[in-house]
Amino acid sequence: MAATSFLSPTQRYAAGALFALALHQAQIHQTRLLGSFADDEASDERPSSGSSSDSVSEDPELWVHESSGLLRPVFKFLDIDQAAWLGLEETSGSSPANHHVGAFMRLLSEDSGDNSSERSEQQLALAKAIDSMALSMETNPVAFQSRKEKHREYEHECRQKCSTSDAQENAAAVAIASENSPDTSEYNVQSSSLGTGYKLDRKAVEEGGMLSYQRKVTVLYELLSACLADIRDDDKKVARRRKGYDARHRVTLRLLATWLDIKWREMEAIETMVACSAMAAAREKELKEEEEAQSPKSSWAKWKRGGIIGAAALTGGALMAITGGLAAPAIAAGLSALAPTLGTLIPVIGASGFAAAASAAGTVAGSVAVAASFGAAGAGLTGSKTARRIGDVDEFEFKSVGENQNQGRLAVEILVSGFVFDEDDFVKPWEGQNDNLERYALQWESKHLIAVSTAIQDWLTSRFAMELMKQGAMMTVLSTLLTALAWPATLLAATDFIDSKWTIAINRSDKAGKLLAEVLRKGLQGNRPVTLIGYSLGARVIFKCLQFLAETEQTAELVERVVLLGAPISIRDENWKAARKMVSGRFINAYSTNDWTLGLAFRASMFTQGLAGIQATDYPGVENVDITDLIEGHSSYLWATQDILDRLELDTYYPTFRSPPRI
Amino acid sequence: MEVSSSQPEFDYLFKLLLIGDSGVGKSSLLLSFTSDTFEDLSPTIGVDFKIKYVTVGGKKLKLAIWDTAGQERFRTLTSSYYRGAQGIIMVYDVTRRETFTNLADIWAKEIDLYSTNQDCIKMLVGNKVDKESERVVSKKEGIDFAREYGCLFLECSAKTRINVEQCFEELVLKILETPSLLAEGSAGVKKNIFKQKPPETSAATSSCCSW
Repeated sequence: MAATSFLSPTQRYAAGALFALALHQAQIHQTRLLGSFADDEASDERPSSGSSSDSVSEDPELWVHESSGLLRPVFKFLDIDQAAWLGLEETSGSSPANHHVGAFMRLLSEDSGDNSSERSEQQLALAKAIDSMALSMETNPVAFQSRKEKHREYEHECRQKCSTSDAQENAAAVAIASENSPDTSEYNVQSSSLGTGYKLDRKAVEEGGMLSYQRKVTVLYELLSACLADIRDDDKKVARRRKGYDARHRVTLRLLATWLDIKWREMEAIETMVACSAMAAAREKELKEEEEAQSPKSSWAKWKRGGIIGAAALTGGALMAITGGLAAPAIAAGLSALAPTLGTLIPVIGASGFAAAASAAGTVAGSVAVAASFGAAGAGLTGSKTARRIGDVDEFEFKSVGENQNQGRLAVEILVSGFVFDEDDFVKPWEGQNDNLERYALQWESKHLIAVSTAIQDWLTSRFAMELMKQGAMMTVLSTLLTALAWPATLLAATDFIDSKWTIAINRSDKAGKLLAEVLRKGLQGNRPVTLIGYSLGARVIFKCLQFLAETEQTAELVERVVLLGAPISIRDENWKAARKMVSGRFINAYSTNDWTLGLAFRASMFTQGLAGIQATDYPGVENVDITDLIEGHSSYLWATQDILDRLELDTYYPTFRSPPRI
Repeated sequence: MEVSSSQPEFDYLFKLLLIGDSGVGKSSLLLSFTSDTFEDLSPTIGVDFKIKYVTVGGKKLKLAIWDTAGQERFRTLTSSYYRGAQGIIMVYDVTRRETFTNLADIWAKEIDLYSTNQDCIKMLVGNKVDKESERVVSKKEGIDFAREYGCLFLECSAKTRINVEQCFEELVLKILETPSLLAEGSAGVKKNIFKQKPPETSAATSSCCSW
């Protein structure tokens, strides 16, 4: 494998080291937000702050520990001398990353004498391929505009349905603001990550400046291939059971991309490319087995005759051989969907470029688990309608959102609504989003959710509530709730009829959470990292899902990111620690301090226990984002999710904001 | 999370660092010390790491020993490993003069530049004394150098194991005599952040993360 790598042994060593450092850093992020710990700067100066009393080898909880099965297979793939593994593990685990990142970056930037010109040519070809892939994945602006337009219409519609007297003027103001807000049709990733106050970040980026762009993407490419390569031993000691793309690996790559100052969409292009070439290889093998001639009309065969894939197979002679037992039909199905992507790719970069790309992905003697990654995808999530019912959940169904299904995307996003007035509200709030994930919306218990949402809305528009609002009472209700002072008895009585429906809905959301956990555990998402986003009761579904996952899972191998919006979750009654542990990347709680609807409905626990949807949680490692300025009332989540998600900049590794800009 | 026993199985943890030119026998010295064996080793890649438990002066010690690559191309890496080391061992080969002269030209400067520990104990070790016939650096020269740079000095052979234990022992004894280093290495000072209670933002939070 060393022969086909685009990097010299020393560079691969450095790449492995950086990966290890990033992996450990990502785990630290789970319990301490990067950039938030105050001693970060100081620790640089303090003598011996780096030495920990424990060595990595004695702490199997660490991601960089051998037993996690996260690091050693990558080292093995990179063909790093086994003697150096322990040193790398200890280095990454025992001292702050910022001590070492710069040094390894420098090592990575150095040219090694032997055949370096050939390698840099290969790197250049690969970089070009990635660029054109990124370009082909770019959403076409017209489509994006029309989606934006649709979203506005939807917003308007919702406002009509949900408007209450006091919201009206606010609404107008926000509408204007949202029109004036800079058009985010470009990816919001950009280079905003540079703005973080995090020292390591800046330092790393400086060091990264010495690296050529080609070198950087090559490193990421090889590391991703290493993450997907299925060459780990079936060692009983290794805690990681699944094949496929581990969420922790994706988080690590995300951090590494930040250090290297590579835009995340480039990384997504790399992901898609690796997926494509792996599937191409799988298809190739399959065709061979079918004795080629059986499907002469498929465009695939045409490409093959054109020598494109053939060249890829010959170059390096190491195209991934996907071993048996994988979901061949799914791959075949996926491939036809991929054809347009590959089709646009090949003319741009030419056959040799693609061959270079493919052999880079194939720099492994073993097989790449991309096919395992896709697994039963497609049929997986959308087909899980028939999934085994748990308890008395009546409805639980995934609906695809966006056009990224079966496009070789290596990450999945599941979106859960929670405050809905009709079935469209499960999907529509999420349609304006512009990212490269394969997206699915979860439709669950619509009957109960619509009932409770309508009940709340009816009450809000009742004369009684109107009266209260006119007196400005509602705005003070929240502070009353928080300080646990006595409520006006009339208010309490009035909410009785919401309560029963609300209780049922809460109960169902807990059960739906369990079902979602089951789905993820079974790998219906195709062993790809999942991003979970939900608002209102949907956020509760996600939180419960994490708690259920924590019962059987040891670590965060399934879920990459979580965003809770206006979540009816008690802060002190629930086990946030367990939930946080299931998420390898960012865990965001977005709250609105004037969401008194939520406070009213969930008041029981709010009195003493706190409520995530209206205030900051206090578990370290959870990002709290105040979105009060975007939310007029609980129903705002229906149409404001888009703006909120834009603000969160989910694609960056760290949040780039401390407090949201006030309008 | 696994709870580590409240009684650590050692009294002090010290971080030691091995530096010196490529091929002087740093890794062999370490291997000889930690596992009583000697074999031909290929050049170290980057850094290696070994743990050794010893009892010196009635104290149970855990030694975390970092073995750095001497090769020029890894020089950039080693600089970050000086940080926080309580003891640094400079190794040269008594049969190769340039490995000795490089100590003054390169390695001593590196220590001054990168070591964060004012009181850190330095030790000079001349390796390969088993090849007495090929010796080009005399013991006297080693002693003079050690005196000039204020370090401990020993000559040893990783192959015959002469003085190998002694050189680590002397270094550690000296560290044990230095109060500031002792304080850093105290087992009570847990630096591993996963073993710490996460920093709380408010006093009332403990109930939510205690189980």
